[in-house]
Amino acid sequence: MINFERVSKRFEHHDALRDVSLDIAAGEMVFLTGHSGAGKSTMLRLLMLLDRPTSGRLVVNGDDVATIRGRRIARYRQDFGIVFQDHQLLFDRSIFDNVALPLEIAGFHPRDIGRRVRAALDKVGLLGRESANPIVLSGGEQQRVGIARAVVARPKILVADEPTGNLDPRLSAEIMALFEAFHRVGVTVVVASHDLALISRLRHRIITLKEGRLIGGVGP
Amino acid sequence: MGPRPAVVSWIDHHRRAASHSAQRLLAEPVQSLFTCLAVGIALALPAALWALLQNAEIIAGNIQTTARFTLLMEQDVDIEGARLIGETLEIRDEIERIEVIDRRDALVRFAEDIGLFELVDNLDSNPLPHSLQLHPIAALTPADLDDLAHVLAGVKGIEQVVFDTQWQTRLQAAIAAFQRLTAGLGVLMVLGAVLILGNTIRLGIEARREEITVIKLIGGGDGFARRPLLYAGLWSGAAGGFFGAILVALLFWFLAAPVDRLFDLYDFDSRLSGLGWSGALALTALGGLTGLVSAWSTAFIHLQRIQPR
Repeated sequence: MINFERVSKRFEHHDALRDVSLDIAAGEMVFLTGHSGAGKSTMLRLLMLLDRPTSGRLVVNGDDVATIRGRRIARYRQDFGIVFQDHQLLFDRSIFDNVALPLEIAGFHPRDIGRRVRAALDKVGLLGRESANPIVLSGGEQQRVGIARAVVARPKILVADEPTGNLDPRLSAEIMALFEAFHRVGVTVVVASHDLALISRLRHRIITLKEGRLIGGVGP
Repeated sequence: MGPRPAVVSWIDHHRRAASHSAQRLLAEPVQSLFTCLAVGIALALPAALWALLQNAEIIAGNIQTTARFTLLMEQDVDIEGARLIGETLEIRDEIERIEVIDRRDALVRFAEDIGLFELVDNLDSNPLPHSLQLHPIAALTPADLDDLAHVLAGVKGIEQVVFDTQWQTRLQAAIAAFQRLTAGLGVLMVLGAVLILGNTIRLGIEARREEITVIKLIGGGDGFARRPLLYAGLWSGAAGGFFGAILVALLFWFLAAPVDRLFDLYDFDSRLSGLGWSGALALTALGGLTGLVSAWSTAFIHLQRIQPR
């Protein structure tokens, strides 16, 4: 599903990724870990086409991403569900409208949008709050709205960047349990996290980066 | 059910973008009103000049249709001679009809005009010659009239051709200059309206930077992000054009009494006319187009700058 082939990314003054080769199979759930600055975010940014590799090849879903340019970028990103550490919710609209945004972009019928949004909110335990503004929610609840938005269009790949960064251990475990639930229904899940204590309890591959190099891929 | 055909969802998104952007404008009524008024004033000035120009052209046309020559015969041409010259001239295409005026009638008319019958009665002889009143056809331009005047002056038996084409030429020249002024000001003011709206749209983009970033991150294209902005431009511009039409109507209402009095004094058989319904509609459409162009160019410049980080 996702193949990094000897990928390097060099910024002006440092190498963010050095010669990284990695395969993530369809339906797999993996954790990316390492200290901050180790290259986790750079890998996710390359995956989302927010940056391009300096060298090497990145193949996603059979396509070399170097060939995806211009208008095709938006279409490519629709295959992903993204969860951000800072949620990236829009506070000028309701929870429902936040979650509905990817469906509007993909062009779903309003009736289907209603059905799917409620199903996604149900999965994250927020059904019944859909007309509220996300600003009134706690951090953990906001993150769950972010997850509902990421999965509502049933993406092939779910990507999360430090999704539990600001949450206490109990809420973090709940969030990870949600990701595992999506993994069980066949979604490829990539979670960047430095919470080793939490992710080592879960039985999935852990990919460790250090100073831009891959130093270990521990299987489940 | 999955995504619908692209065209259906595209139309649907247009519909929603149209109503959402209208709602956003109405949610900030004071700011929207000021924007629309600024656009309205910018569009009202050239529109008012244009409407005045239409009035001026109608008047100029009016004067041309009433244009006539007075041909004074030489003293030794008698009334039969004058009639003969008249009949010869009437064959020409550019002449509609000719009246022959006897020198005795002319003297009576002159006496009536100045109100001094006694003075005229005391004259030993009639100093006026016989004359012809010549009405040219309406289609002649001032240049044609000038040419005709030259031809008439060369006809044997005609002493003098009385026809002042100079002020008509001046009026036409003034109208031409006024047209240029209107066109020039029009371009400048529409450009001003584009900039006013562009600035408003730019502020709108800045205010929605976060939303645009999120839209791009989760797979929305520039078109999706741009659509609400285009509608915001369209609505503000059209509302501005409509305000402009109202301003022009108020201005003409304010002008009507003195201008109509002026028309009466000059015996012009017309009233001051404003933009009318079709003009108001056209101004509204022009405003909408201005807004659309403005939003498109602003979105083109600024949306590309907003990329997810």
